Amino acid sequence: MNEPRRKPLKASDKLVFLLSLVPYLLEQQVVDVPDAAAHFGVSDEEIREAVRLIATSGLPGATGTYQPNDLFDIDWDAFEDDDVIVIVHHVAIDDAPRLSAREAAALIAGLQYLSALPENAGSASLGALMQKLTAGASAAPSRIAGAESASDGSLAIIREAVAGGRQLEFDYRNAVGVAGRRRVDPLRILSQDADWYLQAYCHTREDVRNFRVDRMSGLVVSDLPIDEHAEAEVPDTLFQGSESDFDVVVDAVPEALPLLADYLADSKTEAVDGRLRVTLRLAHVHGLKRLVAGLPGLVTVVSPGEARAAVAGWADAGLAGYAGQETSDH
Amino acid sequence: MIARVAVTEPSGAAKVPVEDRLFSLVLALVATETGLLKSEILSTVRGYAERYDAGGQNANLERQFERDKDEIRDLGIPLETVESPDRPGDNQSLRYRIPKGQYELPETVRFSPDELALLGLAAEVWREASVSADSQRALTKLRSLGIEPRDPVIGYAPRLRVRDAAFEPLRQALDRRQTVRFRYFKPGEREPRLRTVDPFAVVLHEGRWHLHARDRAVDELRTFLLSRIVGDVEFVAGSTFDAPPPGIQDRVIAELDALRLANVADLAVTAGSDAEIRLGKRAVEGDEDAGVIRLHYTDEAVLADELAAYGPEVRVLAPATLREAVRDRLRLVAEAHREGAAR
Repeated sequence: MNEPRRKPLKASDKLVFLLSLVPYLLEQQVVDVPDAAAHFGVSDEEIREAVRLIATSGLPGATGTYQPNDLFDIDWDAFEDDDVIVIVHHVAIDDAPRLSAREAAALIAGLQYLSALPENAGSASLGALMQKLTAGASAAPSRIAGAESASDGSLAIIREAVAGGRQLEFDYRNAVGVAGRRRVDPLRILSQDADWYLQAYCHTREDVRNFRVDRMSGLVVSDLPIDEHAEAEVPDTLFQGSESDFDVVVDAVPEALPLLADYLADSKTEAVDGRLRVTLRLAHVHGLKRLVAGLPGLVTVVSPGEARAAVAGWADAGLAGYAGQETSDH
Repeated sequence: MIARVAVTEPSGAAKVPVEDRLFSLVLALVATETGLLKSEILSTVRGYAERYDAGGQNANLERQFERDKDEIRDLGIPLETVESPDRPGDNQSLRYRIPKGQYELPETVRFSPDELALLGLAAEVWREASVSADSQRALTKLRSLGIEPRDPVIGYAPRLRVRDAAFEPLRQALDRRQTVRFRYFKPGEREPRLRTVDPFAVVLHEGRWHLHARDRAVDELRTFLLSRIVGDVEFVAGSTFDAPPPGIQDRVIAELDALRLANVADLAVTAGSDAEIRLGKRAVEGDEDAGVIRLHYTDEAVLADELAAYGPEVRVLAPATLREAVRDRLRLVAEAHREGAAR
């Protein structure tokens, strides 16, 4: 959480930082530069720069000339010799600033999303925390809300295994349709919007894999502790390419493009009859036919021919289930 | 003797950085109780004073001050305008101030290390740039309290993306209580229709973002799916509205929940298929031997899209409208991919 941010800050972000640093320094009374940097998740130099600015800031005063008594002041010897910050005189502000309506709303909606986590389900403390954020905002938080999605019971079991460092066994049917019992060392629970995944070292495959939680069944937390995986590469993203991936050219309506973002092979788009022609990269045709059939009328496969045929075959097989029921429009 | 050319410093010497000017402005406005006149601010506060023209040519500086004011208010800092009791309506005698009591976080709002750890995770959830920036700013402000959060919650990396382009403009519109206009593609209608609405709340329900708003044409409340908004969301200039009642977002979610419970679909799923496992997890009732499950849903068209993806693995038994919707989708997909069909 306290990883240093590397993006250059906007002036408004720098202002918030200055207004937040002052009350922190006053509260701490004496603080080392590296401690302050760690607390705010910034570099030591960013703290020093901000302290120099604060130490020379203040009020124009009665004469409008920023006289010393109207300025902040620090113990300059301690600062320059020992990298220690001590504010010896302060003006105007000494307390934490309120949150803006949008800032409070962003955290509240994030908390609502987290309420899907098993340990937060129906948690009273989460509600109390949201009320505190509302009270700490300068205006009623913007009305953005994320409803807690009913948490899959499997998630609680997985969480237990992750927290206890225990191996986990479950039946898994992968995207290609192959089913089997897996034994894994659970590493991390990931989510993307409404979908939950377990990132785990799979003893069956001897590799780190992502498992969709909604494809797991028969979960059992084992007594065996998980192995060390310090050397294993734990990818930070959900979708990783592989050498067996194949490319498919599709035409999509512009609105559907964000829904294909995970699969785009490159950033090239070409306008064709009001649609956008893009190349997708997928692991297998099983994924493609489900993807395209789930975006009916929005995405059409152009090539290769086998991919088009696979999609047509999938939809036709689905249609066959309704044969003889076409009474209403025929 | 050669006359020395005077080396003139650029006026105001070194340029004052923006954050320095904004910081000085906030300090000056918090320190004043009665408020400062605009002329006082521009002629004395660092960042303005260096460029102030006592002769009166300060149009640029005044515009700068207007922008700075907006930026400061945008950060949740309560910058107030006070009219002169003697000269109401006179802009030149307006006073500006930031009341300290409304600037500071109330004494009752303090956080435990556990709560801060949870807030840190909540801020990490957002993948959408502007919401993420708002969350990070909120965390910076809360760090000023000097409480060290408990170690981050390990083993979790929850992520929430916003893939609807309409989200950010609608969030701004909520904030400003600004009427908006967009084209909306309602299922069953032939083409998108222009809607003019007052946005009241934006809520995530069942993985979809919804807008709850008053439709100006019929003066009634409506709920829209963000994914069905086509093209840009435009602000209707000069049209704003009163704040909706507090907690409206919770009522919208309750309504969507009630709607979900009222809709029932019966599905036949193929044994051992992806559909059986994944849809089965959401079933409220099921007969495993018969391969039939029952589930609730909020929006028929959304569910029909999802079921079409399962192809032959699922067959809708009821309701008839859903069955037709899925069949129509499968037919559309099959025909678009038939040999000889337009590519």
